[in-house]
Amino acid sequence: MADAFAIELKNIKKSFGAVAANRNINLSLRQGEILALLGENGSGKTTLMNMLSGIYRPDGGEIFVNGERVDIASPEDAKRLGIGMVHQHYRLVEVFSAADNIWLGRNCPKYPFREKLKSVCAEKKGWRRLTAGGKVLVCGAGAAFSERLLRKKRYQEVEKICSAFGFSIDPAKKVYNMAVSEKQTLEIVKVLYYGARIIILDEPTAVLTVQETEKLFEVLRRMKAEGHSIIIITHKLNEVLAISDRVAVLRKGEYVGTVETAEANEQMLTDLMVGHRVDLNIERPVVEKKKPLLEIRNLTVRNDEGVRAIDDVSFYIRGGEILGVAGIAGCGQRELCEAIAGLRKIESGEMVHKGENIVGLMPREIIEKGISMSFIPEDRLGMGLAPSLSITDNMLLKTYKTGSRPFSPFVDRRRGRAEAARIIEELGVVTPSTETPVRRLSGGNVQKVLVGREIQSGPNVIVTAYPVRGLDIHSSYAIYDILNRQKESGVGILFVGEDLDVMLALCDKIMVLCHGRVMGIVHASKTSKEELGLMMTGTLNLVRDDADAGKKTGIARDTNIREDDVR
Amino acid sequence: MKTMKRFHIVRREGVSLRRKCLYYVIAIFSALLLGALLLLTCGVNPLDYYAKVFTIGLSTARFPAKQVENFLNALVPLVLTSLALSVAYKMRFWNVGGEGQFLIGATAAAAIPLGLGSVGGTVPTLLLMAAAAMLASALWGGITAFFKVKFGTNETLLTLMLNYVALYFVSFLGETKGKWNFFLRTDSDRPIFASVFDTVAMPALRIGDFSLSLALPLTVLICVFLWFYLKKTKQGYEIAVIGDSPGTARYAGMKTGWIVVRTMLLSSALVGLAGFFKLMTSGSLSASITDNVGWTGVVVAWLSKLEPLGIVATSVLICVLRFGCSQASVNVSAVDSRFSDILQGVILFAVLAADFLLRFKIAKKEEAC
Amino acid sequence: MKKVLSLFLAVLMLTGVLALVSCGSGGAVDLTVGAVYIGSQTEPAGYTYAHANGIKKAIEALKKEGYNVKLLVRDNVPEEDAAVTEAIDALAGQGCELIFGISFGYLNAFSSAAEKPEYKDIVFSHATGYLSNETNFNNYFGRIYQARYLSGIAAGLKAKANGVKGQDNKYHIGYVSAYGTEYAETCSGINAFTLGVQAILGDEALVHVKTINTWGDPQKEKQAAEALINTYGCVVIGQHCDSAQPQIAAQNAGVFGCGYNSDMTESAKDAHLVAPIWNWDVYYKLAMKTVITDRTAFMEDVGNYYGGLKEGFVDISPVSKNCTSDTQDKVDAVRELIISGEWDVFSNVKLSFDADGKVVRTESALVTNEGKTVISADNSSYYVLNDAGEPVAVEGGASAVDSIIKGSMNYFVAGIEVEND
Repeated sequence: MADAFAIELKNIKKSFGAVAANRNINLSLRQGEILALLGENGSGKTTLMNMLSGIYRPDGGEIFVNGERVDIASPEDAKRLGIGMVHQHYRLVEVFSAADNIWLGRNCPKYPFREKLKSVCAEKKGWRRLTAGGKVLVCGAGAAFSERLLRKKRYQEVEKICSAFGFSIDPAKKVYNMAVSEKQTLEIVKVLYYGARIIILDEPTAVLTVQETEKLFEVLRRMKAEGHSIIIITHKLNEVLAISDRVAVLRKGEYVGTVETAEANEQMLTDLMVGHRVDLNIERPVVEKKKPLLEIRNLTVRNDEGVRAIDDVSFYIRGGEILGVAGIAGCGQRELCEAIAGLRKIESGEMVHKGENIVGLMPREIIEKGISMSFIPEDRLGMGLAPSLSITDNMLLKTYKTGSRPFSPFVDRRRGRAEAARIIEELGVVTPSTETPVRRLSGGNVQKVLVGREIQSGPNVIVTAYPVRGLDIHSSYAIYDILNRQKESGVGILFVGEDLDVMLALCDKIMVLCHGRVMGIVHASKTSKEELGLMMTGTLNLVRDDADAGKKTGIARDTNIREDDVR
Repeated sequence: MKTMKRFHIVRREGVSLRRKCLYYVIAIFSALLLGALLLLTCGVNPLDYYAKVFTIGLSTARFPAKQVENFLNALVPLVLTSLALSVAYKMRFWNVGGEGQFLIGATAAAAIPLGLGSVGGTVPTLLLMAAAAMLASALWGGITAFFKVKFGTNETLLTLMLNYVALYFVSFLGETKGKWNFFLRTDSDRPIFASVFDTVAMPALRIGDFSLSLALPLTVLICVFLWFYLKKTKQGYEIAVIGDSPGTARYAGMKTGWIVVRTMLLSSALVGLAGFFKLMTSGSLSASITDNVGWTGVVVAWLSKLEPLGIVATSVLICVLRFGCSQASVNVSAVDSRFSDILQGVILFAVLAADFLLRFKIAKKEEAC
Repeated sequence: MKKVLSLFLAVLMLTGVLALVSCGSGGAVDLTVGAVYIGSQTEPAGYTYAHANGIKKAIEALKKEGYNVKLLVRDNVPEEDAAVTEAIDALAGQGCELIFGISFGYLNAFSSAAEKPEYKDIVFSHATGYLSNETNFNNYFGRIYQARYLSGIAAGLKAKANGVKGQDNKYHIGYVSAYGTEYAETCSGINAFTLGVQAILGDEALVHVKTINTWGDPQKEKQAAEALINTYGCVVIGQHCDSAQPQIAAQNAGVFGCGYNSDMTESAKDAHLVAPIWNWDVYYKLAMKTVITDRTAFMEDVGNYYGGLKEGFVDISPVSKNCTSDTQDKVDAVRELIISGEWDVFSNVKLSFDADGKVVRTESALVTNEGKTVISADNSSYYVLNDAGEPVAVEGGASAVDSIIKGSMNYFVAGIEVEND
């Protein structure tokens, strides 16, 4: 075969305990193509790719690389075969610079002087051998040492690779100072540095903004043009259609099929992936709007580094509406959420909830006022859930103290269990029991537990950030549905999101943040993706002070409520 | 191409309780076997030796009741200290200051009868002693928590260093004669700690020759209380959440700083109580009054995965070993009483190995390459 | 799994077989003795070794007399009452009729064990303590100060022969001590040594004392000895601490020394003169034999034991080749005076030697290095110092009574200088 497949998998099997993660997977990657690997959460995509990169070993089946049968027992093996993987959770040493992170994996000769010594000893005799040997030993040790020393040269080498692919990365920058997209770029550079010809990217766009994604795609296309073969794992159908040549679909650990992207459309891919039709239209029920529940006035908050993360922000949420917050990653969303929940010190400004200023209240008091905040961080765990505790215990997190038995010293686990059971039932959480530790659940199920709990606490304001982050379509819709039900019952919702399509469909109004400042609040039905994109990058700022009335323009008003009601 | 055997480590999930028990039993058994070989090389009959160890020397004792009493006296402080430490560990607060808290507790308890004499009878005196022990220890340990919460200091270092402060403080008390130093015997020209037994004694229930100290039932009660506290109460729940994820605890509106301080106060107060109990079996203070329970307690707490019942079981095992070995070594001149330290170490390693094998399995594979 | 189990069984059977092979020896036992040690019984030197060795020697000696004594040991027992009580209970439980405790800190536990009715038939014997009862609890210790006086004579003679004096025209002699006046044991030892030195050198002697605040720490002992030699120009180093380091330091500096506990000539053959030593077996044999023959007579026959040169309980090691030629004669002369009971160290009589080497006795007050009289020259008043450092009269005989030497002595005699860091 002249043009062998870059990778060919035949009947790959892998199980973890009793759970079969992969069953008889057949997959092929052509030379120089971009293959999208599509599948819902838990369909076995990551497991499959981990077998290619040597992290797991298949229980059965065969792997061919460039037509030859191979056994990939370790990441070293994968590296040797030219397979590089960019993981969803980056594997970087935070305190090292970009260049050092790349340098880390270099193979340097372990005992250069021992080999040299042997050769010297073979040649020379007696005293001369001894002195020559000594010299080699000293020089060799020095050389070996300097080999391990980090030389300035590495920065240039790394920079060279970067410019070749059009990456902009500062080789001396420490990883902990990097933004998410920079870390990802670094991972890709690392893979390329070691000469990978086959590159696997696990959900690379989950943490990127639209612009960053587009930049990534450009890089991928250039890599493809240079003859690299790429597998990209993603949930986002528009991205699949935009970047890939072919799409392979997995469903529940099984291989469903591969289609040429040119012949595919969103509907068809969704059908392949979920096995049943998912209504792509998100409903937006019209609810009679009420008075503002939560009003934020001139809020200023600093981030951990002391920089203003939220700068003079004002907005309000009414009962029965969903206010979307759009913005590129790290433009103050997290700080805004934490400020509302009482977790972050407020520099200046007011937060009025039902006519009462809640600035300076303890987080517990804010919870008791019925303001719920759920924030799904990039690693999905860590905030809002205690991973080692059971679902039951996690249900009780916010209500254990004042919930059903405010004066009893004991935790009401029966209530927790009932709530856990209800969420498992209603949201279709896949778990052996209510007593399973949350960390044993898969990502989507973890989020369902978190969002479910927030809603069950019966809040009147829900602040939710990235509730569908990393979720498959089916689960995402379930969550949109939950939010809409809440909206209908009169709850005010602040929805911090990343997918503009979703926000345009789901939210009533959208507030756009750029570097902590409000660029404008627009009615979702009256705006476009392009407008939002321009505002997110700061190109378009609708907010202007109207000197005459002391009011600001660019803030969408609700026609059926007069200005007096706001105050 | 040739076939190659490769070993790799695979995570195990859902191991049955029976299998767990079996593994631990095998681990302990193999450790004992290793100990037996060691005994053989010293020319000691391992069967005789182990028989003495595991019957804690009861088989040949003229006063078996005393043996049991002494065994329980050694067991009570260990159980209580391990339990107390485990409370802090649940919160991922590395309290390694058991030794110091124990010493401070014992010292504070001793100060009451030695400094004030009997305060309105035995029971009030004892209650006052217990309160003093718990309060002093709680403060001693609470300082660490306070500094951690307030200034982010490292609690491991601080508790560790405070151990030595406490140790040297007690040594100082024991070596310095002076009018102010009411801890010492007045009739001795050489400094030596006075006995509290001249003033108070722990109430005990006499059953024939055997007298059951009140400390034992109290410890059992505390054990049950702690089980409920950790598993059922809101405070226990808070400890679990903070131990698992401090960020989440803050998010859930818990006052994490106060909870850390409160839990550490409880933990060190209980260690102090153990110090008081020990003082009431020793009678007098000494720098070695801890019998190393502050250190052993750390091992016990971790070996038993911070489970109250496991702590009791592990404490009994370790205590049987230590106590039994010192009983057995009476007749044996080749092996001294510190043989138990060796056994304990070997058992620890074996149990850790079993733990590893319970969590992972080593899979073997033959493959072409 | 089966493989593992069968392996276990095999090894178990092996141990069983081996166990049967090694069986103990029997014989009628006349006495079962228990001993509670502070250190390990397998130690090759040191305090526990000295006692363990003494007990073994005594048992061997009794065996020659036809008595079979069985020894049970609890070692590594810290000075903690619960631990000591537990050790006593274990030994009593195994049938011991006589139990020795070798460390001072065992005091409380031994005294309360002796009071227990179930132990009324067991004799408790406690070293270095001061408590006892009428029936079954005694304490034992020795007049090591007598031996120290003799070693002081050897030291004085060597210093005089050496001839090196300091700028103050005095012979400088050093003494490394565990503690100072806080323990009568160390205090009386330093005083006796100094008085021995003064028997030869009179006012020309100055004894520098350096305390290390521990009964044994080789590093500190060495440093103290080196400081005494280098800073104060001491030519002889006496010691009251466990290791031979002061003697080795003396040898390295080319000076001389008197060791302690054992003949330290082995460690410092060019420097060591004589060492005050203990013969613990003397007491242990006496105690065991008394219990074998008549236990009820123990407190009458043995009582609180305070043996000295007379009983052979303390002595000095053989005079080494480093000593001056007249050392043996002069030491023997004084030894005779002490054994006969004619004279003892802490009295109003000072010894010296005339040109012929004869002992000369002079009546003279015993004065502290702060100039306070503790024994008057006319032998009428005896004092100890109170907390304020003022002499307080106590009852006494011809010389300082034992209770002072053992317990309340809290001063240094004239001619001693304490050197602090």
